[in-house]
Amino acid sequence: MAMSICAGSIACASAATAADIAAEPPVDVAVTVYRAPTRVHGSIDLNHLNGFALVSETRLVHLPAGESRLRFEGVADGIEAQSAIITGLPDGVMEKNRDAKVLSPAALLAAALAKPVELVRTNRKTGQTVRVPATILSDAGGGVVFRTAAGIEALRCSGLPESFSFEPGGNLSARPSLSALVRSRAALTQRITLSYLSRGFDWAADYSATLSADERSMDLGAWVTLANSNGTGFPSANTQVVAGRVNRENEAVEPFDLGDPILALCWPRGSTSDSPPSELRVAQDSASFSMKRTTMMMAAPAIAQLTATAQHKVVEEQLGDLKLYRVPERTTVAGRQSKQVRLLDRADIPVTTIYSAVVAANEQRTSFAAERLLRTINDAAHHLGLPLPSGSIAVFARHDGQPLLLHESTVRDLAVNEEVEMQLGLSTDVQVAITHENVGVTLPAVTREQVERVQISNARPVPIQIELRVALYDGAQVIRADHPLGSKNGQPMFRLEVPPEGSAALRYQLQYQNQTTIR
Amino acid sequence: MRAAVFCAGCSLWFLASAAATAERTLAVTIYNGDLALVQDRRDIDVKDGRQRLEFPDVSAQIRPETVTLTATDIAIVEQNFDFDLLTPAKLMEKAVGQEVTIVRVNPATGVESREQAQVLATNGGVVLKIGQRIEVLRDDGLPVRVIFDKVPDNLRARPTLSVTVVGTHSGVRHATLSYLTPGLSWKADYVALFDEGSGKIDVQGWVTLSNSSGSSYENAQTLLVAGSPDEAGSDAGPGNYRPVRPRPTLQSPGTESGNRERLGDYYLYPLAERTTIANLQTKQVSFLDVHGVPAEHGYEFQNRWLATSDSALSVRSVYSFSSGAHAGLGDQLPAGILRFYMRDKRGDPQFIGESRIDHTPMGSTLSLATGDAFDVKVKPIVAKRKHISTFDWQTDVRYELSNALPRDVVVKVLQSGLWGDTRITAESQESGRRSADTAEWAVKVPANGTASLTASFESRY
Repeated sequence: MAMSICAGSIACASAATAADIAAEPPVDVAVTVYRAPTRVHGSIDLNHLNGFALVSETRLVHLPAGESRLRFEGVADGIEAQSAIITGLPDGVMEKNRDAKVLSPAALLAAALAKPVELVRTNRKTGQTVRVPATILSDAGGGVVFRTAAGIEALRCSGLPESFSFEPGGNLSARPSLSALVRSRAALTQRITLSYLSRGFDWAADYSATLSADERSMDLGAWVTLANSNGTGFPSANTQVVAGRVNRENEAVEPFDLGDPILALCWPRGSTSDSPPSELRVAQDSASFSMKRTTMMMAAPAIAQLTATAQHKVVEEQLGDLKLYRVPERTTVAGRQSKQVRLLDRADIPVTTIYSAVVAANEQRTSFAAERLLRTINDAAHHLGLPLPSGSIAVFARHDGQPLLLHESTVRDLAVNEEVEMQLGLSTDVQVAITHENVGVTLPAVTREQVERVQISNARPVPIQIELRVALYDGAQVIRADHPLGSKNGQPMFRLEVPPEGSAALRYQLQYQNQTTIR
Repeated sequence: MRAAVFCAGCSLWFLASAAATAERTLAVTIYNGDLALVQDRRDIDVKDGRQRLEFPDVSAQIRPETVTLTATDIAIVEQNFDFDLLTPAKLMEKAVGQEVTIVRVNPATGVESREQAQVLATNGGVVLKIGQRIEVLRDDGLPVRVIFDKVPDNLRARPTLSVTVVGTHSGVRHATLSYLTPGLSWKADYVALFDEGSGKIDVQGWVTLSNSSGSSYENAQTLLVAGSPDEAGSDAGPGNYRPVRPRPTLQSPGTESGNRERLGDYYLYPLAERTTIANLQTKQVSFLDVHGVPAEHGYEFQNRWLATSDSALSVRSVYSFSSGAHAGLGDQLPAGILRFYMRDKRGDPQFIGESRIDHTPMGSTLSLATGDAFDVKVKPIVAKRKHISTFDWQTDVRYELSNALPRDVVVKVLQSGLWGDTRITAESQESGRRSADTAEWAVKVPANGTASLTASFESRY
């Protein structure tokens, strides 16, 4: 690289033998966004877009015969250079390079070390400038020492307006650049494809469900919310998102050297009238500003209510073991933007409202609110039967014709035929109390028997279904109960109906040997 | 050579570096664990007698204790690595007791007036003695230039390696400077395109070397060594931390030799041409390109002992292939990351996940998990735990498998944690034992259907 210190070597010249060619800007771009691999459910966080994207750009290149360094400008800032693939060059690629050294004041200084520069001094009174030939001796430690014919001085320690004027040369670019060393037998113009993985993207599905007045059915709509936190935008791109967890190995992105600012640090500049510094107040101001900006950034994309009927929806297809959703028409994925495209709209999905509580065998509780949830099955009979990618869900209910928010929760990836449960939060109208009625011990095997009473009260004007899941000691068994014992996912469960504005009671007896672990 | 001409009046160290003549060849050998051996062959001009040779253009992260300079007809007296850096503050500090020139600039007229001053102290502020008076430099905030006569001997812009030698006669001679430096490392990156129809993969391998050593290596002959001889430092470096590997990728280690160059038990990957490794550069060079290697796609689910779940969990999507000469990649695979791609319905390759591999001998069978299957899930349920005698427990586990794909799949269900003499007393289909503590069942799940596997374990506690 010509910018390095290469006094007295031939290398500076030899590096320049390869012609420096910039590929044309992309004529076609495709962006496939993947979710943050660690997030199982929930929506995206615009401050931490931990997903990534596969970007494929079609570009035109004009190569001369022989060796050239083909530069790609305008790639995403979060590019993982080691994932770059270049296809379409007939003679292949000799090597791919990513240079993180970018043009900065510090890089200019470092490159000018021991080389001739001009020192420019401006007279504050007259505006006249004086240019003096100079050599930079050091840029170490944030200070600059230079030599002129007068002797050795330090930059901006005199209180005079002074700066350097550098000679042009060097090929540092504004952003980290991706380039390929290619060799071509003949001059050619070729369409090539550059694809790479880039960080700073994410997406999730944002569902909104609206319950019918009788709470027996709901309408479900969803948006694909995708976001790009890169500074680079992708105009008129073929856009896809992929659902399903893909493996990512934890890899550090290559360093990106912005260069330190030229501080022009000087010798100690204390004076006889030193007063306490005023930086503190400034620092506090900037801190509160940055906090404000953070809260602004955290505002999640609003869950838009669905009003339009004819929406452009994404098209689903199978990609290996993943689901790929294609945005039907080209769209611009701009830098630092979040974007929503319709995922699905389904109406009249039958749902059942269930109340649920865990009754643990080791605790007595006076009274606690049961959880309320909506349950349905992801199949055609329930007007669903399509893969539901993970994300967030907001459940609305109608009140005077207006949909009002009931509860917000999250959804994990749900395949076809899976049971779907949507939480509606705690219901204070349905209270559960647990009492140990009797504990007995039989020796010598230390067999314990315990009688439990569970009281459920319902303040709602309708009958409710409640599921009481029993958390048992390891090895414990329910041996007697006054309601039929069922089970769900291996856990004993009672299902009771509680009359409107009434209550119900359950008594059961369990038996276990003296073990203390709870499963 | 313009720099040398311009610097005709500079201090010794510029002269010394310029004195090294143009002939210079670099050889860089890079190991996996953030370590490189640099061999810098150049012609140096040595005078008769004792002298100091400076090498300003070595790695900024050089390990000075590893430096060796070899040349004919010289004797080495000592090697020094100076890292006292030239800053304005140091310059002033070293001028204490000495004379400097100060130039006062009249802010109204711009008229300059020169005076000689002696620096008395630099503690907090600069105290000067001008004639018979004492002043604090720029106490009034008015512009004052301070001009020094020379740069103190030991101050430099960059840490500098110097070797003091005694030459037996003067003249230009070949010399080799070799040293170890961190900041250079390499790994492999693989691109695998899986074709679902034919069950074959195309694999390209790239070596990725990165340079954060602070220096550039011009036109260097580059050799990559698959191995890390730096035992002490290799695992401690940032970025090398690897948590416990969740599943092994190497199914059976290979026993084929191949024809790669070796160094001891390390494999060598020389780059075909000289290349420039710039500072803060990541460079990739191809070393492997094979097409149509048979690969198998399968599903795997691993359950911990007594793990039970309320929701169905996605199984792992696993690809396996051979690195052998026959129906395989036919090469040793240096450690790195293998990225899998697959074509979508439009024919565009899409990323489907990646997996890290270790140094892999030729002829090995690799099994790499790329991610989770959206449509194939397992819900493990501990259906029953029963105390059958004082120390014996019976545990019934039910694995509910579901498949929303339009084709039959086979899922390998692994139950781990079968410590001690845990026995399977009943099972709905026959199991194999991957190891003493892991049972394995291959369960067929029909298209758009479900399957159930049950097993009853007897364990002691």
